[in-house]
Amino acid sequence: MKKLLYAFLLVASASIFVVQAKAQVIVIANNSVKTSEVSKNDLKDVFTGASTSLGGANVVPILLKAGTAHEEFLQAYIGKNDTAYRAGWRSLVFSGQATMPKSLDGDAAVVEFVAHNAGTIGYIGKASAHEGVKILTVK
Amino acid sequence: MKQIIGRLMAGGMLAALALSMTLHAQEFKLGSRTVQVHGFASQGYAYSNENNFLTMNTSHGSPAFTEGALNVSMAVTDKFRVGGQGYTRKIGSLDDFRPSLDWAYGDYKFASWFGVRGGKVKTVLGLYNDTQDMTFLYTWALLPQGVYPVDLRTTYIAHTGGDAYGRVSLKKAGKLEYTLYAGVRSFDNREGYYYYSAGGGFPISTIKGRMIGADLKWFPVKGLTLGASGADLTAHRTGFLGKTPYTFDSNPNRPLAGYANYARGKWEGSFEYRYVNNYEDISFGGATPIHEDKCTRNWFAAASYRITPKLQAGFYHSSTNVEAPTIPTNTASNHIYDEVVAARYDVNSHWDVKAEGHFMDGYGDGRQTQGFYKQWNPQGLKPTTNLLMLRATFKF
Repeated sequence: MKKLLYAFLLVASASIFVVQAKAQVIVIANNSVKTSEVSKNDLKDVFTGASTSLGGANVVPILLKAGTAHEEFLQAYIGKNDTAYRAGWRSLVFSGQATMPKSLDGDAAVVEFVAHNAGTIGYIGKASAHEGVKILTVK
Repeated sequence: MKQIIGRLMAGGMLAALALSMTLHAQEFKLGSRTVQVHGFASQGYAYSNENNFLTMNTSHGSPAFTEGALNVSMAVTDKFRVGGQGYTRKIGSLDDFRPSLDWAYGDYKFASWFGVRGGKVKTVLGLYNDTQDMTFLYTWALLPQGVYPVDLRTTYIAHTGGDAYGRVSLKKAGKLEYTLYAGVRSFDNREGYYYYSAGGGFPISTIKGRMIGADLKWFPVKGLTLGASGADLTAHRTGFLGKTPYTFDSNPNRPLAGYANYARGKWEGSFEYRYVNNYEDISFGGATPIHEDKCTRNWFAAASYRITPKLQAGFYHSSTNVEAPTIPTNTASNHIYDEVVAARYDVNSHWDVKAEGHFMDGYGDGRQTQGFYKQWNPQGLKPTTNLLMLRATFKF
């Protein structure tokens, strides 16, 4: 049992040293969202359900179901993989503290939804078209 | 009749889960508002080499480990939400598929730093009390039983009353999250309190109590949670020992917890220490009460590692020490130590399966709920128990 424990700790500790690449995602918002920039902490709070406001106004996070942009967003701003991320939301939903955010297929669907729904905020790949929404600078 | 309703509810939930899997129907409109529906169903199998555990016939292998829940919630306004969750389970003789209302409340958030909830509200105590039934969130099939006993779920998981809560930014020092609560406790007559009391010769006629408490969490740096909880509980128990009436009154009953959780990269570690300052005044036939020490010191340390995006492995050590065992010379009764190795595989976003081995030393004191009951171990308890737990869960 002790040998298993030591082996586990040795393997697990190696994963601490992770090099993070620059995010290739952009954060978008409906034009009704007044702020043009958001801190990493505030962004994480909104997308983990810890907060429902940005710049003093209520916002609703919109997620991608899967894909490169989704994984990069989680890596860069949330620090969790998809399973752990959704588990965090489930803990809030099953305790009655939040509703599960909408998850959409693809960047185009996210842009379409955010453009037409006040107070929404989402993320897409940097190279994706984003007419009708504003880009939030993450500082 | 309740069993029939419970089984129908369980069957209904499973049908709803299957239907949702087909239709991806997790929300519907109520006027202009969106109502979300979520749920889970879990089936387990347990086998032990010695003692029967958690009222299951584990020494012969037992599939009597089923639970499920269905919840609905809605944001009425940007600040006001309502919701509720129905729950049912059968774990050995625990609950026997009787449906229950897990939680149902209204939540009004005035600001990020202050909100209120009222109704039947899940109780924030320690790392996992308010999410202890959602094992699909964790690597483990069973949470550390010394701190989160399955057989006392109803008693601790929720209170009927109200909460005040909020989150405060400390700028560079991180964030603080607080919860204050007060309410009435629930006691289920097919759970630990009733079973251990009956096993000790004190069948319960009535039991009631209240709880008040607070929890404070600090998030100083990314991935780290530090916290402390405290509660003051009461339990007034009455019944008959033969023909003599008895009363048991907690004086006091105060669980105090300190905990930490750190997640970084592929691994996660957690620790919780819980001291249960628990004394009871026991009176027979109105005589002067006997003041009895039932204090326990409990803690666990856990670590898990994500080997691949779908596969996690982990282990934990759980410890319960009884301060004043009934029979001090019986060393197996003054503690339960549990060493656990577990693996979890996420088949997809809806399904996960787990396999877990428990290596337990000791069985705790008969005056308290420790998972080992005399009624299910008439041959007497052995000092060690090895338990295999398998579990599959569907959630949506």
